[in-house]
Amino acid sequence: MLKMENVTKIYRTGMVETRALRDFTLQVEEGEFVTLTGPSGSGKTTFLNVSGLLDGFEQGKYWLDGLDVSRLSDREMSRIRNEKIGFIFQSFNLIPDLDVFDNVDVPLRYRGLKAKERKERIERAVGQVGLSSRLHHLPSQLSGGQQQRVAIARVLAGDPKLILADEPTGNLDSAMAREIMDILDQVNEAGTTIIMVTHNPEHAARAHRQLHIADGRMVDLERIAPFPLNRPQPVPARAAV
Amino acid sequence: MLLYNARLAWKSIRRNPMLSFLIVLGIALGVGVSTTFITAYHVLARDPVPGKSDSLYYVRMNSWGVADDPFLRTPPPLITYRDALELLKSRIPVRSTASFQSRANVFPEGGARPFSRDLRLTTADFFPMFAVPFRYGGPWSREADARPESVAVISSALNDRLFGGANSVGRTIRLENHPIRVVGVFAPWRPRVRAFSLVNSALDAPEEIFLPFALAGPMELLPHEFSMNWRTPLPGEDKLPYASQLMLNEVIFVGFWAELPQARQVVDYKHFVDAYVSEQKKLGRFPHPANNRVTSMLDLMEEMKVVPPQTKVLAAISLLFLVVAALNLIGLFLGKFLARAATVGVRRALGASRATIFVQHLVECELMGLAGGLLGVLLSLAGLAVLNRVYGDGPGGVAFFRLDLPMVLAAVGLALVAGAIAGVYPAWRICAIPPARHLKTQ
Repeated sequence: MLKMENVTKIYRTGMVETRALRDFTLQVEEGEFVTLTGPSGSGKTTFLNVSGLLDGFEQGKYWLDGLDVSRLSDREMSRIRNEKIGFIFQSFNLIPDLDVFDNVDVPLRYRGLKAKERKERIERAVGQVGLSSRLHHLPSQLSGGQQQRVAIARVLAGDPKLILADEPTGNLDSAMAREIMDILDQVNEAGTTIIMVTHNPEHAARAHRQLHIADGRMVDLERIAPFPLNRPQPVPARAAV
Repeated sequence: MLLYNARLAWKSIRRNPMLSFLIVLGIALGVGVSTTFITAYHVLARDPVPGKSDSLYYVRMNSWGVADDPFLRTPPPLITYRDALELLKSRIPVRSTASFQSRANVFPEGGARPFSRDLRLTTADFFPMFAVPFRYGGPWSREADARPESVAVISSALNDRLFGGANSVGRTIRLENHPIRVVGVFAPWRPRVRAFSLVNSALDAPEEIFLPFALAGPMELLPHEFSMNWRTPLPGEDKLPYASQLMLNEVIFVGFWAELPQARQVVDYKHFVDAYVSEQKKLGRFPHPANNRVTSMLDLMEEMKVVPPQTKVLAAISLLFLVVAALNLIGLFLGKFLARAATVGVRRALGASRATIFVQHLVECELMGLAGGLLGVLLSLAGLAVLNRVYGDGPGGVAFFRLDLPMVLAAVGLALVAGAIAGVYPAWRICAIPPARHLKTQ
């Protein structure tokens, strides 16, 4: 699904160069659930931005779903983001003056779908996350957990092949967090590839594979459970250099 | 997507009503001022007789007297009565007309108090040449010109006053001591420019009474506008009947128009005028070298500066004002758009391209421009009302300066241009922001 080879991302501020990703190499199979951990400033967000085509990179190659996306135009990258990638953010990132229906509708509008199909997808996705009765509520009228479920519905409505989740449970209490993780498990079981950044070891352990990033480089921890067979059991992660 | 973007724009406008109002007001002021002055220019400069002005030609002959040195470069603006009668005999033009303004007292029926009115003496061809609209009846015939008959065409305002607005064709009015039969009543008619009198009070309203040209002598109607004379009458000429005096003197007071639809006719008619002047020179008239002019209506308007040059300058300045107003709004749009950079980042993450975001914000600018344009049209109505108060409404209450459909559409177009000027840069700035920069991640 995702393959990066020696990807390097450099931030330049005046005379100072910061290599957020250094010869970053990673391969994620289709349907895999991968978690990513690492200290602050290690490059986790940069990796998500690059893999989600929200930011470019200076060196290396990147294939997404078999397509070389290393040097695409803005229009092409936008189309791929819209059709193949779904984002879940720690702070939900719902559009505040759009209700639930319209928030979930946003990516579908950019895909050019007809109104009838959009409506069907929205109602199905919102139903999947259990918020059908809140279809015309504004984000300000929802709890944090509900807002995150709307964000997940926004992803599900587009039926992406890859979900990039950046600390999706970071702003939620443990009960809500577990609910969100359960939804992500179900989505993954249906075949969607998930790459999730998390600081929570319990959540990290629910993945097929746990990765660690440090100083812009990938450190691949031991596979937690066989992929694609069986769901992973929570076991302590062991670092492997 | 256009309707979707319009919906998003409406939400954005409602989110900041005061800021939105200020932007709309800024555009409205610019559009209002520019529409007012452009309309004034448009009214004055437009074709005064649509469909006819390119075939109507004004005749001038170099009949200045020997001593008239300061005027030698251009011929006099008017011709004499006798020259007009001679020119009317030519069969080259499709139509031709001579006219001048006079004044007479009107004596209403039933002993009501008399009042004076300007009137115009002209020929039957005047009415089709200048597209005069009729409410009742029509112009007199050429035969009525030749006899001449005591007939008149009057205005709707005068018809309302004398006959209560009824069809007065066949009724009689008294001008001085003369009974005059009404043959036609023209509809409320307030041309922007008195095309038939470009050299004299071109912006005034038309006269309310029209009489056959040849009635000048029998009714002893004197010219009431500009006139000049450079011939001293011989002893005893002042005792002659007025009609005879008109044929002898060199008083210029008549305007002459010929309808010449084809270029060949213009050439032929110029030759005719030149030949006529040559003949008159043998009689001792036209002492100066020939400088005869057969000038098209639009060229004459330009030559006489019927549209004051200041009007054009004001129109240009008002457009500059609109541009400056729009440029001043760039900052407001920039602040408005950059405040939602995070939302734009989310939309970009969800698949919106730079072009999509640019168009979304430009639609918002144009929607506000459109609102400013509509408000600006209302403001321009107020501006034109002020101008009309200065110039005065014409007879029948028809406003001199008024917005027509082309000007309303032009105002809307100006508003959209202003919206684009104000919004293109802010829309580009917001769409060019890298999507990752403003997304709220960990």
